[in-house]
Amino acid sequence: MSFLKAFKYRKKDSIIHRLDPRSKFLFSIVLMSFSIVFLDIRVLLTILAFQIILLGLSKTLREWVYSLKGLTFFFVIIFVTQLLFGGNIFTGFVFSIRLIVLSSSMSWFFLSSSPEDIGRAMSSARLPIELVFSFIMSIRFIPVIYDEFQSIYDAQRSRGLELEKGGFRTKIKNLMPILIPLLIGTIRRTYEIADAMEVRAFGASSKRTSYKDLKFRRGDYFLCLISILLVFTMVYLKLLLAIE
Amino acid sequence: MVEIVVENLFFKYHDAEKYALKNINLVIKERESIAILGENGAGKTTLAKNLNGLLKPTQGSVRIDGIDTRSLSVAKIARKVGFVCHNPDHQFFAETVEEEIKFGLRNFGFSEKEAEKKLQEVLKIFGLEEYRRRNPFQLSGGEKKRLAIASIIVWNPELLILDEPTIGMDYAQRQNIQKILKSLVSEGRSIIVITHDVDFAANICERAVVLSRGEIIGDGSLRDLLSNQEVIEKASLRKPFLIELEEELGFKRFEEDFDSISEFLIRVFPRCRS
Repeated sequence: MSFLKAFKYRKKDSIIHRLDPRSKFLFSIVLMSFSIVFLDIRVLLTILAFQIILLGLSKTLREWVYSLKGLTFFFVIIFVTQLLFGGNIFTGFVFSIRLIVLSSSMSWFFLSSSPEDIGRAMSSARLPIELVFSFIMSIRFIPVIYDEFQSIYDAQRSRGLELEKGGFRTKIKNLMPILIPLLIGTIRRTYEIADAMEVRAFGASSKRTSYKDLKFRRGDYFLCLISILLVFTMVYLKLLLAIE
Repeated sequence: MVEIVVENLFFKYHDAEKYALKNINLVIKERESIAILGENGAGKTTLAKNLNGLLKPTQGSVRIDGIDTRSLSVAKIARKVGFVCHNPDHQFFAETVEEEIKFGLRNFGFSEKEAEKKLQEVLKIFGLEEYRRRNPFQLSGGEKKRLAIASIIVWNPELLILDEPTIGMDYAQRQNIQKILKSLVSEGRSIIVITHDVDFAANICERAVVLSRGEIIGDGSLRDLLSNQEVIEKASLRKPFLIELEEELGFKRFEEDFDSISEFLIRVFPRCRS
């Protein structure tokens, strides 16, 4: 579950944090597209290097490195499936880098954009408030669910539960004492939040205004320009140079 | 009986910049009843989790019966050191109270026959007999807390750590838990209680470890520590009611000052003399 930490906003004073979430989102989508479109290790490593620089600029490199530990399970699955279905260690490595690029594209965005700013960006795109609010709440809940998972895991380990023990079936069975309280807690909290919102007249006013408006600055225009250039580069590499 | 030795313990969470615990030195001997007190965020729960192996020291060591916790699994430690987390909802998953209590016993390899016997015993001690087939999530706050303690005490750990056992409880429920813990202490079981409730702690524990900002600022007799204004202020605590009363009345200590108390009572309530 530690990979969820890659999506937890970290309040820091950095050049990236000050950017508008809309320009950051556009840039993230472009970076993510590279990992979907290309399988060439040179392209993927270039994008990864780019992302590492961005994470460094947003002062969230440490959190990102920690979140990679949580992806270990997926790396193992990638290597195993590659070896079982005609691939080799190199293709396993390529797919793992692809996964890192894919997840980092989004984690860079979420680590440096507050849920409130993301909500404002969505509202400015005229999305319905119910959808915006649900989205913000689900982002906010990722770290809460992670913390709750950890507390439940600790509580069950204190009662002698050993997740590492036994075969695959036993391990799945052993997850139940963790997943059931987590699920019940989450559902219960959902109802509590719905009540808390209703008593504070959520949805009573059809026209909503925002206390703080988002503004595009020079840095945001610059980031959008890079995004467009990257899209052209992507088309060039794929169609003209026929890179896989 | 279990003995825990904590030496120069420093602990830092992986994503934190500061240490949550700094230079902790403690010896917990058998038959001790200890209250871990301190302000919010002082490191009380972190210390408790280091004592039962859920967290491993960043520096220094925690040794249980001479063995470093780093070389022991949580399950191995849990057999000796039971930990009751503050939110019972974090541990309930079974369909019935009975199954919830038997969960730990099964993990520790008790036979069904033994498990049934131990279940009967704790149901009786904790007054949960009538709820045996009830869903744990349908119990009241106090009943849930009792069930949480019962589901740990059932395998008879030598040391029991309770994290905030009275949080969110009404007076009757609090008294009930207090009575149960007092009887466990009188049976000679070692207990560590993490709490903000100084009166509750004073009623159960003889020793206190007071933490502030990850450091121990006092370790000794609960009574002495909670009479010390400097410690109380540093740890955002207050004096227990009994100590405040003693000071207001000008007595040294109730248990050492019976003559003055008798004189005082006779003065206030002359009919006491008869």
